[in-house]
Amino acid sequence: MAKKTLYHNGGRMWFIVIWFILPFTLLYSVFTIWPVIQGAIVSLHRWGLMGKQGWVGLENYQKFLGDRFFWQAMQNTALFVVMTVPLLVVSAFFLAMLANRPSRVKRFLRASYYLPSILSVSVISFITIYMASPYMGFLNQLLHSLHIIPAGIEPMWLSKTSLVRITLVVTTVWWTLGFSMLLFLSALQDIPEQLYEAAKIDGASAWRVLFSITIPILGQTFALVTFLQIIASFKVFGQIYLISGGGPGTVTRPIIQYIYTTAFTKNNLGYASAMSYALFLILIVFSLIQLRIQNKKD
Amino acid sequence: MKKTKNFKPIDIVLTAISILIACIFLTPIVWSLACSLKTEGMKITSALDWFAPPYTFENYPSVILGSSVSTWLINSMFNASMSVILTILVTSLAAYPIAKLEFKGKSWLFLFFTVGLIVPGEATIVPLFIITNQLGLLDSYAGMILPSVAVSLNLIIISSFFKGIPNEMIEAAKIDGANHWIIYFRVVMPLAKTVLVTVSIFAFMASWNNYLWPLLCAINDSMFTLPVGIPTFAGTYTVDYVRPMTANMIASIPAIILYLIFEKRIVKGVTLSGIKG
Repeated sequence: MAKKTLYHNGGRMWFIVIWFILPFTLLYSVFTIWPVIQGAIVSLHRWGLMGKQGWVGLENYQKFLGDRFFWQAMQNTALFVVMTVPLLVVSAFFLAMLANRPSRVKRFLRASYYLPSILSVSVISFITIYMASPYMGFLNQLLHSLHIIPAGIEPMWLSKTSLVRITLVVTTVWWTLGFSMLLFLSALQDIPEQLYEAAKIDGASAWRVLFSITIPILGQTFALVTFLQIIASFKVFGQIYLISGGGPGTVTRPIIQYIYTTAFTKNNLGYASAMSYALFLILIVFSLIQLRIQNKKD
Repeated sequence: MKKTKNFKPIDIVLTAISILIACIFLTPIVWSLACSLKTEGMKITSALDWFAPPYTFENYPSVILGSSVSTWLINSMFNASMSVILTILVTSLAAYPIAKLEFKGKSWLFLFFTVGLIVPGEATIVPLFIITNQLGLLDSYAGMILPSVAVSLNLIIISSFFKGIPNEMIEAAKIDGANHWIIYFRVVMPLAKTVLVTVSIFAFMASWNNYLWPLLCAINDSMFTLPVGIPTFAGTYTVDYVRPMTANMIASIPAIILYLIFEKRIVKGVTLSGIKG
């Protein structure tokens, strides 16, 4: 690629450049980059809400290796990733296929599938809490009147462990699917029409077209969406914190909530920073893979 | 796209399924809206009763005026608008030299600016809290707004758009005696309107719906935003559906209206970024 930039006058250009980049550099350094460094420093100290209390070296890191609540939170987070990601990727693809069909309701479909994504996490959490609450909630009433569950049985969507997990997964899929659906949709629209016409002439069945043309062409989009979802699900906090509070007990508590509680309820910011660093490293690995996929795509 | 003239049964079935799923997706939102239009203490005996008239709009003024919701609404509005203005200004300023000027160390600077792409904000929330506290910005508007202003992804999107603006236009302005500030403001910015609108919408939505950071940064009830305030509000009305759902709708309607107005641009923006989420 030939360089096509203006005004070569070497180092003196900086006198102008500096004023253009100053505000961004300042805010970016203080609020994005410095926290990464500060986090490392804090993690090596005993640190409370009032400030530094003393150097402890790597003690905080040793501590979480033997902390069963840390591993439980990691396990809960991993389980959440395993439950949500495949479901999200497959259903987002399925809905994108439906919304991509030529029909008069195309725009309505796209808007309806995407609309939940624009709502705030508190809004969707409170809709779930009120809809899924037993005895007077909409969900159980609906299930009763459709005779899906017999009268007199009240599923405890918000307090029975196995059901809470389902509630959290369904809420998350409903809330966040729209974004991935749009990524699939735009990839589908980029597939040249001639490919389908050729397949039609060859007499290929709809299934054959799906598995031999559509899915292979979308390979990279599948990879991208999968990694974006893994990252997003690993960072889950709001909906679990609000809907189940991490409960019953701590059986659904994700890692970010444990970090949050350790720092701001237990007043142990040093330990929380050490655990944040573990999470940070995991997320960076996934982000680097995702950026690689994306660069290949461009 | 080709028009289908003779409908096959499979097409009708698929269309029916897609509409059914769309209705399921909309049900919780419509239900929430229906609740907000109900009179308190109405008897509900079956699922359909939730959606049945009579409707009333009384809950909206009563919730807005009779509780802290109005304060949270103003805070949310203020944070989101300031965040949009600052994001656009600060990011486009930095994008201009990166896209259009040649200077020593540019590639290093750009690399530095893009490292942020892989920094997960959730994993640095504890040090961010400490830094904001040290700067004395906890429980202030600046503390809530400033951390989300300089975002790597926005810089990449805006600077790559700036790169596409023909150099001839800038040369022409230069010959007319314009300096870089005038070129940035009078030539580049007006040409980049579409991408700036897209980034604005996402900055607005991100700020409007942000939960974790304002939850930490806002300490007094009077500094809460809607997402932080709603859970505390709803907690006090566990038996009653009407007021919490009204607060829910007050928090959602601006975002829904924004979506309906800018639908095309949002769809494009999602594809453009592919990274947010």
